[in-house]
Amino acid sequence: MKSTITRILLLAIAAVGISISFVACSQEGAEGKQEESVFEVKQEKKVYGKIQHVDVGEAIDPTMAKAGLDVFDTKCSACHKYDERYVGPALGQVAKKRTPEYIMNMILDTEVMIENDDTVKCLMQEFLMRMPNQSVDEKDARNILEHLREKAK
Amino acid sequence: MKRLTLWSLLGLAIVASAVFVSCSKGGGKASVGAADAASAVYVAPGEKDEFYNFVSGGFSGQLAVYGLPSGRLFRVIPVFSVDPEKSWGFSEETKPMLMTSHGFIPWDDAHHPDMSQTDGVPDGKYVFINGNNTPRIARIDLKDFRTKEIIELPNSAGNHSSPFSTQNSEYVIAGTRFSVPIPNEDVSIDTYKEKFKGALSFIKMDKNSGAFNLAWQILMPGFDYDLARCGKGPSGDWMFYTCYNSEKANTMKEINASQNDKDFIVAVNWKKIEAFVAQGKGQIITSRYAHNVYNDETHSATSTIKTSVRVVTPADVPGCIYYIPTPKSPHGCDVDPSGEYIVGGGKLATVIPVMSFSKMIKAIESKAFDGEIDGISVLKYDACLAGEVKNPGLGPLHTEFDDKGNAYTSMFVSSEITKWSLKDFKVIDKVPTYYSIGHLCIPGGNSKKPWGKYVIAYNKITKDRYLPTGPELTQSAQLYDISGEKMKLLLDFPTIGEPHYAQAVPADLIAPNSTKIYKIENNKHPYVTRKEADARVERKGNEVHIYMTSIRSHFAPDNIEGVKVGDKVYWHVTNLEQDWDVPHGFAVLGNNNAELLIMPGETSTATWEPKYAGVYAFYCTDFCSALHQEMQGYVRVSGAGSSTPITWNNKK
Repeated sequence: MKSTITRILLLAIAAVGISISFVACSQEGAEGKQEESVFEVKQEKKVYGKIQHVDVGEAIDPTMAKAGLDVFDTKCSACHKYDERYVGPALGQVAKKRTPEYIMNMILDTEVMIENDDTVKCLMQEFLMRMPNQSVDEKDARNILEHLREKAK
Repeated sequence: MKRLTLWSLLGLAIVASAVFVSCSKGGGKASVGAADAASAVYVAPGEKDEFYNFVSGGFSGQLAVYGLPSGRLFRVIPVFSVDPEKSWGFSEETKPMLMTSHGFIPWDDAHHPDMSQTDGVPDGKYVFINGNNTPRIARIDLKDFRTKEIIELPNSAGNHSSPFSTQNSEYVIAGTRFSVPIPNEDVSIDTYKEKFKGALSFIKMDKNSGAFNLAWQILMPGFDYDLARCGKGPSGDWMFYTCYNSEKANTMKEINASQNDKDFIVAVNWKKIEAFVAQGKGQIITSRYAHNVYNDETHSATSTIKTSVRVVTPADVPGCIYYIPTPKSPHGCDVDPSGEYIVGGGKLATVIPVMSFSKMIKAIESKAFDGEIDGISVLKYDACLAGEVKNPGLGPLHTEFDDKGNAYTSMFVSSEITKWSLKDFKVIDKVPTYYSIGHLCIPGGNSKKPWGKYVIAYNKITKDRYLPTGPELTQSAQLYDISGEKMKLLLDFPTIGEPHYAQAVPADLIAPNSTKIYKIENNKHPYVTRKEADARVERKGNEVHIYMTSIRSHFAPDNIEGVKVGDKVYWHVTNLEQDWDVPHGFAVLGNNNAELLIMPGETSTATWEPKYAGVYAFYCTDFCSALHQEMQGYVRVSGAGSSTPITWNNKK
């Protein structure tokens, strides 16, 4: 008896949950169903996570980019390639498609981004894998950003 | 739907009224009503316990970690026994931790956890515990709740009066319960009285690294050294041990070691002995013992056999060791928070004797001696006695203290805890335990600073307290509120093994320092794979080393060929995750040795010797993500003489 009620409640909660996320994604989906389309979003409306603003400038700092590559190899490359979909999305052009704040917050405040950011919610539905927080510090995250900016040049 | 709701409301009403009835019944009694007790130990979902409780796993050889007041089991820390859940003693990295001078020992008996202290107060850094059968002392690091060091004790047997820390953890001491011939050689057991000695060991601990070094052993008369405690404050330079079998019996001890009316508490001035040893007193003798150290950076243990130890005899260190007579077959030996009182628990005694440290010092100065044994002066009982607790119950064993000047003694034979005052040694309260209490523990209750909120009873007999589970029942602990004048039973909770002694401290002494991950950049394991691009397979003769990575949710490589029957395959799996609570598991079909559970940033190794050609599956055994089921791979095993080359993939 109890379990029936619980089941009904759970179903109701699940239904509400699905409809919410469905609404959020269908707006982006309108532009196309392919993976790349999700990447079309250029500017997030609201910045989630601890990095509210990054000044990147025009030039690439090669020292930072090299340091970023080293961290990327250890902590990211098992799931992200540059030019092919793998466990997570390809990241070769990500610096063109996402804001610097988005990239750094995705690395540093992964949980907050997964819970709140509409683009990430859509990616979650597509990849069905929560990106792990890899305990990268802010300096290393900035270096990874520089590496990804270099890649996207 | 409507009907369901109505039914459930009715159900709720019945439950509520039942609770109410049981409450009003219990309300009139001295014991806490069931609802009051329930709310006192209730830790709501998501809330955390106030205290950690480290409880010996007894004959399981492990250390169990509980929360108080809930009595919930959080973790079993493997120490002296293999633990498949944590690959302890199975992975190549942890096997050396269980090495001894007798080879690999998969199971021992653990008794007395003691915590490291700073200025006589538990500091939440380490827990020490003894291996009783094959004498060893372990150091467990409370940052990651892992055993980091195990040192074997030579010249010992039944390592029971162990381990006990000095008030700044300068030394962790251990004493032998069973005396043995030293050096241990092929002699008739009838030579007991002349050849058998009791070794009291002093392990020096490095304050910064925690590293152990067996500094010296005192070779005492061949009695049975049972339990011990370091002094504190004014008595901080002294160790106190109880001993029985002053008859030096070597058969039917049950009768023959219970002849004398009084046995002894041994008082040892370790500070003075330390100074003698620094002058080179004593002698170095040949002894074999293992010293096992786990390295945090290589995630691997090494085992070294040491071949000598310094021993001192009482004659080498005059004025350092005294015997205080104490009633019949004493067991516990506990020092109060002020450091003035030493409480002996006499299993066969009808009183609890309380010795005075200051009187003992005066007795030594005034030479109030009552003869000597093997050159050790015996002090006069009355000259050292502060008082006796009369009619405490039957079979006093162990005593802990609160922060209000009270002592709590476990009474084994009469199954109760007796609370008494350190001011007048009068009994204040008694409360039954279910059944046959052994040790007891108050948070910080062996230190200068007890947190006197609870006392926990660790019982020897469970009988009818839980649903039966065949001939063997769960072991049992009981939690009592001691914040008021009367002790109140709040909770029964089951424990593993036979719970002997325990330590409890406020959670905030430990929780904030808890390790969440091992940093992959600090991993110095010789077979680490720091990034997926480096994952590979290497053959060296008939050894195959697989450098494998795991991350949610795949292994790299996950298709391996070229292994042959007769090969010894080492799976060195590095978990690349850097997120809290994301271990990966590893298991390969037909492995006679190990599965692995690898923490974030750690490398672990399983050894596999496939017997038949074929293709074998391996997979992750710890649910890690929605695609955990897909975290799987294959290894091809070819016949012994085949020429299949080593190949692997690093891609999906």
